[in-house]
Amino acid sequence: MYKCNTHPQSLRPHLHLQELTKQFSGVTAVQSLWLEVQAGEILALLGPSGCGKSTTLQMIAGVVQPDSGTITLNSQILNRVPPERRDIALVLQRGLLFPHLTVGENVAFGLKMRGVSRAERDEKAIAMLRQVQLEGFADRKPSELSGGQAQRVALARSLIIHPKLLLLDEPLSALDANLREEMQDLILRLQAQTGVTMLIVTHDQAEAVVMSQRIALMFEGCLRQVDTPEQIYRQPCDETVARFMGGVNFFAAEAHGRQWRSNDLTLLSEYDHDGCVQVTIRPEQIQVLAEGRSQANTLPATVIANRFTGTQRRLTLAIAPELTLQAWVTPTQDFRVGQSVWAYLPPSALWCFPHRTVPYPVQVP
Amino acid sequence: MLRKSFIILVIVVLFLPFLPLVIWSFAQGWFFPQLIPNQWTLQHWLQLVSPTSRVIEGLLQSLAIALITTILSLLVGLPAGRAIGVMEFPGKEALKLFLLTPIIVSPLATLMGIQFVLIRLGLNGTLLGVVLVHLMPTIPYMTLVLTSVFANFDTGYETQARSLGASPLQVLSQVTLPLIAPGIVVGALFAFLISWNEFLLTFFVGAGRVFTLPMVLFTLLQGGNNGLVAAVAITSVIPGLLFLLLASKALENDTALGGFGNV
Repeated sequence: MYKCNTHPQSLRPHLHLQELTKQFSGVTAVQSLWLEVQAGEILALLGPSGCGKSTTLQMIAGVVQPDSGTITLNSQILNRVPPERRDIALVLQRGLLFPHLTVGENVAFGLKMRGVSRAERDEKAIAMLRQVQLEGFADRKPSELSGGQAQRVALARSLIIHPKLLLLDEPLSALDANLREEMQDLILRLQAQTGVTMLIVTHDQAEAVVMSQRIALMFEGCLRQVDTPEQIYRQPCDETVARFMGGVNFFAAEAHGRQWRSNDLTLLSEYDHDGCVQVTIRPEQIQVLAEGRSQANTLPATVIANRFTGTQRRLTLAIAPELTLQAWVTPTQDFRVGQSVWAYLPPSALWCFPHRTVPYPVQVP
Repeated sequence: MLRKSFIILVIVVLFLPFLPLVIWSFAQGWFFPQLIPNQWTLQHWLQLVSPTSRVIEGLLQSLAIALITTILSLLVGLPAGRAIGVMEFPGKEALKLFLLTPIIVSPLATLMGIQFVLIRLGLNGTLLGVVLVHLMPTIPYMTLVLTSVFANFDTGYETQARSLGASPLQVLSQVTLPLIAPGIVVGALFAFLISWNEFLLTFFVGAGRVFTLPMVLFTLLQGGNNGLVAAVAITSVIPGLLFLLLASKALENDTALGGFGNV
């Protein structure tokens, strides 16, 4: 599973977690976790609250000691390295600017700890503040900042020490929606400028998708799937993952290669499978047509609910007595409740995984 | 306006009792039915600073004992308060109750035993012995104050500081201590004033050889020199007031904890 990287590139920051395990008074928080983060990559550690993602972050930062397993950064085993010598910066949800210091002193804190002279510190702090668009804020107190500004200062404070790895623990969940997008852009821009490797912990799947190049999905202390956002969306490895990523359509089928039978219907998929499977299709992938056309996977349906959300129209379609699907279409497509329509399920969008009769114990929001 | 007059009222009520003391300390006899004394004098204050009255000696001893006691109770109270305020461990509630016992149980009940132990240790009648018994009430107060300070302290600041490259010692001096400074000031104020005003424990353990300001005052009270007693009484209040003023200055700059929690 783990292959040692012998390229000269391995000198660049590169995080490996191997068999990382942590228990808190008998309860397993993280269970033999394996993960690799490439240099310069943005990886999101995604999962519901209490899944062990924050514990994983704390172990990487050195705040919590793992029970077993190793943490390797840049070919150096970190397990016994104290947090202040790991070169790993942490940005927490609450921002946690030191209230007794000015904004400038906060940003320069890491340099001060490294014995950098005052003049150089001030100069670098001001430059760093300019990068997060807070020029002229150096002499303010953290209590005078808004939530978004405080979070930007926290970011500047972490980046000024040029960390080998930047850990962000729910950095934006305390901010409101508009500000969050602005901050996402800023973080991504700073990441592009500095090339810092980033690990973001979040419970918000939308945020993980926007922010990261790869997502590591975690449930109950175990990694379930590590993939690009698009793959996790389109090809979830099981129903829990699919539901967590916002999947709502699930039905059982009998698969024979690319032909899947369910409720006396035959569906065509691009994917080969055999046996009992659980089929899923993203609600926004289903096309709803007012008039039928003779094409595979085009099924007659009845609209039984129509909910307008502003950006979408969420239709519930009855396709067979035991089969209802949700289709999220553009708001301009309006259908009456009770109207007969046609639903087209694109073969590339039909995905399945081996059927499980026992439901996962994970509570999905 | 109402608020201002209320504050004036409070000040008057608090300070009015001191007025007779001030008059006494400058009066050359003050007898019924005089509303104010006929003759004024500085004699009592001169007497106070002269070595024969031993007031200055008592003041210095009190100051030394109170400062040492405060520092020692801080040294015990800081780690103890942090442990109880931040950490979870079995027997925590029992320990909290145990901490309160020196405050609950009257020193009269324990003095005999304490004196017995201190005599055997050769500490009876020494400054160190007095400091040790002063620690009995000050450590619980200090620990309780600092426990609630630490209960409201976000240890995330320390985590954050370490991830930015601060060693544990740097975290303590640059982050933790500045952030809990208001709580330390309050705890130190408690400890200092308790020690400063302590009479009974000093009286027994000091065995007349450790002569603090309350001892001086007690002796003088028996002597019946009202003028000198008044002057000493005023003097004994001054350090407390000074300390309180300094503390309120420090607490005004309290941006850290939003007060010192539910002390």
